[in-house]
Amino acid sequence: MSPIGVDEWVARSGERHDRGSGPLESLRRLGDRVGWWQRLAVLALVGFLFGHIGANGFQQTVAFNAVIYAILAVGLNIVVGWAGLLDLGYVAFYGIGAYGFALLSSSAFGNLMQQTGGVQLPAYASIPIVLVFAGLVGLAIGLVSLRLGGDYLAIVTLFFGIAFAEVVNNVDPAHLGGPDGITSLNPIQGLGGAIGSTIGYYYLALIVLIALMAGLHLLDASRTGRAWRAVRDDPLAAQVMTIPVNAVKVMAFSFGAIVAALAGAIFAAQQTNVFPTNFQSPVLILIYACLVLGGVGSIAGAVLGGVLVTVVQQMLASPTDAGYLFYGLIILALIIRVRPWRLLGAMLAAIVAFGFAARAIVGAISHSAIAGSTGSVGWIGSALRHYVIVPANPMSYGNVLYVLLICALVGIVRLKGIWRLIATVPTVYFGACCWEARLSVDPAITAQIMIGAILIVMMAVRPEGLLGARRVEII
Amino acid sequence: MQILLQTIVNGLTAGSVYALIALGYTMVYGVLKLLNFAHGDLFMVGAFIGYFAIGWFGGPTALSIPVWVLIVFMFAVASFGVGALGVAIERFAYRPLRNAPRIAPLITALGVSFVLENSVLLLFGGLPRSYDSTAFIPFSLSIHIDSVSIGIIQILTLVLSVLLMVGLLFLVNRTILGKSMRAVASDREAAEMLGIDVNRTISMTFLIGSALAGSAGVMYGLGYANQVSNVIGFLAGLKAFTAAVVGGIGSIPGAMIGGLFIGLCESFSLSYVSSEYGDLMVFGILIAVMLIRPTGLFGQAPLQKV
Amino acid sequence: MAPLLELDKVSLAFGGLRALHELDIHVDEHEIVSVIGPNGAGKTTLFNVITGIYHPGGDIRFDGKSIVGRAPNRITQLGIARTFQSLRLFLNMTVKENVKAATYGSTHATPIESILRLPRARREEREVNARAEDVLGFFGQRLQGYRFDQPAYVLSYANRRRLEIARAMATGARMLLLDEPAAGMNPNETHEITELIGRLRDERGYTILVIEHDMHVVEGISDRVVALDHGEKLTEGTFHEVANHPGVIEAYLGRNPEVLQK
Repeated sequence: MSPIGVDEWVARSGERHDRGSGPLESLRRLGDRVGWWQRLAVLALVGFLFGHIGANGFQQTVAFNAVIYAILAVGLNIVVGWAGLLDLGYVAFYGIGAYGFALLSSSAFGNLMQQTGGVQLPAYASIPIVLVFAGLVGLAIGLVSLRLGGDYLAIVTLFFGIAFAEVVNNVDPAHLGGPDGITSLNPIQGLGGAIGSTIGYYYLALIVLIALMAGLHLLDASRTGRAWRAVRDDPLAAQVMTIPVNAVKVMAFSFGAIVAALAGAIFAAQQTNVFPTNFQSPVLILIYACLVLGGVGSIAGAVLGGVLVTVVQQMLASPTDAGYLFYGLIILALIIRVRPWRLLGAMLAAIVAFGFAARAIVGAISHSAIAGSTGSVGWIGSALRHYVIVPANPMSYGNVLYVLLICALVGIVRLKGIWRLIATVPTVYFGACCWEARLSVDPAITAQIMIGAILIVMMAVRPEGLLGARRVEII
Repeated sequence: MQILLQTIVNGLTAGSVYALIALGYTMVYGVLKLLNFAHGDLFMVGAFIGYFAIGWFGGPTALSIPVWVLIVFMFAVASFGVGALGVAIERFAYRPLRNAPRIAPLITALGVSFVLENSVLLLFGGLPRSYDSTAFIPFSLSIHIDSVSIGIIQILTLVLSVLLMVGLLFLVNRTILGKSMRAVASDREAAEMLGIDVNRTISMTFLIGSALAGSAGVMYGLGYANQVSNVIGFLAGLKAFTAAVVGGIGSIPGAMIGGLFIGLCESFSLSYVSSEYGDLMVFGILIAVMLIRPTGLFGQAPLQKV
Repeated sequence: MAPLLELDKVSLAFGGLRALHELDIHVDEHEIVSVIGPNGAGKTTLFNVITGIYHPGGDIRFDGKSIVGRAPNRITQLGIARTFQSLRLFLNMTVKENVKAATYGSTHATPIESILRLPRARREEREVNARAEDVLGFFGQRLQGYRFDQPAYVLSYANRRRLEIARAMATGARMLLLDEPAAGMNPNETHEITELIGRLRDERGYTILVIEHDMHVVEGISDRVVALDHGEKLTEGTFHEVANHPGVIEAYLGRNPEVLQK
């Protein structure tokens, strides 16, 4: 009998087809040729170099936040990506780490116990205590959740997370600081003295991240990692194949909790204060976005997601950068989706021509209709000033345009072929008009809308995340 | 004693609003196994539509049409409007993810929630709008039993909710559409192979569930809280979500019972315990229920063939 | 010599439905016993009960020790491993990882040891790797070489069945419960499976309990056959004894044996 499928190239054709061939895939193939130690070393090098290039204080804060979110996402990956447990209360462990550190590094503990002075432990003592505490809480939550499956687990953990934020916010301010939080924390003592600057904490967090990535990679390749992934795939089969499913799940919860608490403690030290608002639902959503966008189940994906989400968030906070992001994403979407190149060129030309034509026509009809100025400042604003239609009173115009735009987007999805391309031209143009007339005027709100839109589009286009692998799931 | 009765009445009224939202949650979960976190925001949109409907006819103090016509109109427009919105959202955001890992639609739902809440904020501002329903609905018209007053709006809310729930049960158990929904919820592939138009069934599910949420929004604006803003969706959605889970997610009677249960819990903790920790108490009760019956009151554990 | 596996008046009911009723079954070491019976007879339930997924009335003894009421992963560690009627592989893990995962119960390295690559962890990894390659090598070239790193979901149906058996072998068990190993296979593959089961006992010394519908397989491998119907043991004996038992014929073909004899 000749075994079928011995020819390896044929046998692996299915895998090749699944993986696709985009630029991301080429990058992955490149990365695969190098060992993971080397990739990690490159990442560490890049990270340290970034610290040395003399970035300003603001950029340092962004970098620090990116590393913190990367740590959080990596920790969440253990619970969600490896063990497959939907823990929607994860942010509470982040908060426990931060508040725990705060209590032990300031006079706050004294307030809690109604004494003066409080407990002010050095970081190398307080952080382990906090981590152990978080691990125990994670254990407890894990034990409670054992009775619950899938979506029920999600609910209970969600409420645990909300309960934590509420308790911390509502409990008597003399105890946990209330909405005003706990302030004046002692910094972490490094090798040469107290770490007082953001860049110092950045390096600390970076070291923690690299160590974490290495450790978790080793863990993933070990029996514990295999057990987690087996439990995610099929808990019943895992149970019958000698894996103590309950113990493994609880272990995942604990590990995730400890990682989150570590991030929380470093964050608290850098901020020198903790507030309840740092640990509420929006933060949880951000951490999940980091992990899911980066790729559930992949350590590198979690880190990438953490960095990307932080950067995007920062870009959206500043109106000019938000404009870059908006227009950049539109152009990127066109480049990715419209092929071949000639068609793309024709389309861009059509958009430009349509815009000028529309403006001319509208301007001829009514002068006040184009009398307004663009919301964007800088070179984008001046480039587009004679291109977009912005009336003297842009508000209601912008609102109507916004609603029409949403409808148009929904409509475009339903069109096919040439009609879709044709419909895209006015949509892009009026999208730009809407941005200039309305969206760029209220950057805070627009940022939220854009985050939502990015989440929706990312999931529709690539549900497994940037560096995630496509999974086969039995429901 | 009268506090007890009043608490019960308030709890049932609030509970019926939660129940209607919970029904939408549970129906969508049933057919798609998706926890639609944006559902609460559909409720919010319904509340806004109702608010604007009042404005279209002259505003609360100078209505140009009879009150009862206005109310019917409000419910109709909110139901259809939000229903259509729900169908559009499904088509645009959730359909591409039919076969994606379960966590992807959750993130999409969060994205939709962001977009909805902030779009309303962008278009209409963040200031809460008031229905001012006392201006056009004679609140004084209420029933007094043992000095417990039940306002006409509360009666309206209760009656309408019950009617809608009964209607939904009829739909699910006695009509072809209902049978399709149950089939798709049970095994989507098999349903497709048997000739059921799965896409249409799912769209109809979203239509009905969203319409219910929209009506709940109008009820909320009219009687329960009077003030609507773009953030009411989050908390109401959360409570309705709790209700659906406590009742057993995927179970329609469960969502109804769960909603009433949560409404009563909330009412009791507001009356007898401090109002600060009211929400916390509700969550605590949820955890307790889940520990006793992990699949909710009426829920079924997913059957596994070993 | 005492049997390796002994079921003593084992009963299980789901509500009013009697799934198993007072079953007395035994399997001696190195025996291959087939369990046959029409659909719904309780065969898979029997496996579920032995492996601890359900807790029955009565007693089940493995190697003299009672295993009723123990957790499934403990029972497997004691020496009984099974495959599933509808495959239950870890589809997103690679072929080798599927097999390695099943060695969890035989290894003891803690997470800390794994991270720090302490000697015990390294030694156990080497042993696990060796066991995985050994077990996969049992199936010839089919699950070797480049196959090690392929995710399980790319495997063909027959290869998935083989992988399931390999995974069960990797647990270090002495006894295998194979649930319809030849289901869905063409005659060639069925023949291979039949040989394979024989080799499992001859080369590796396993004791095997098989559920099978394909009578060619049953005839080819069994030392003894046990026939179940409606949760009760109809009869047991050699293949020919059981195949000609009127009760068995009736269970499979219905009443009226006169028609058969024509």
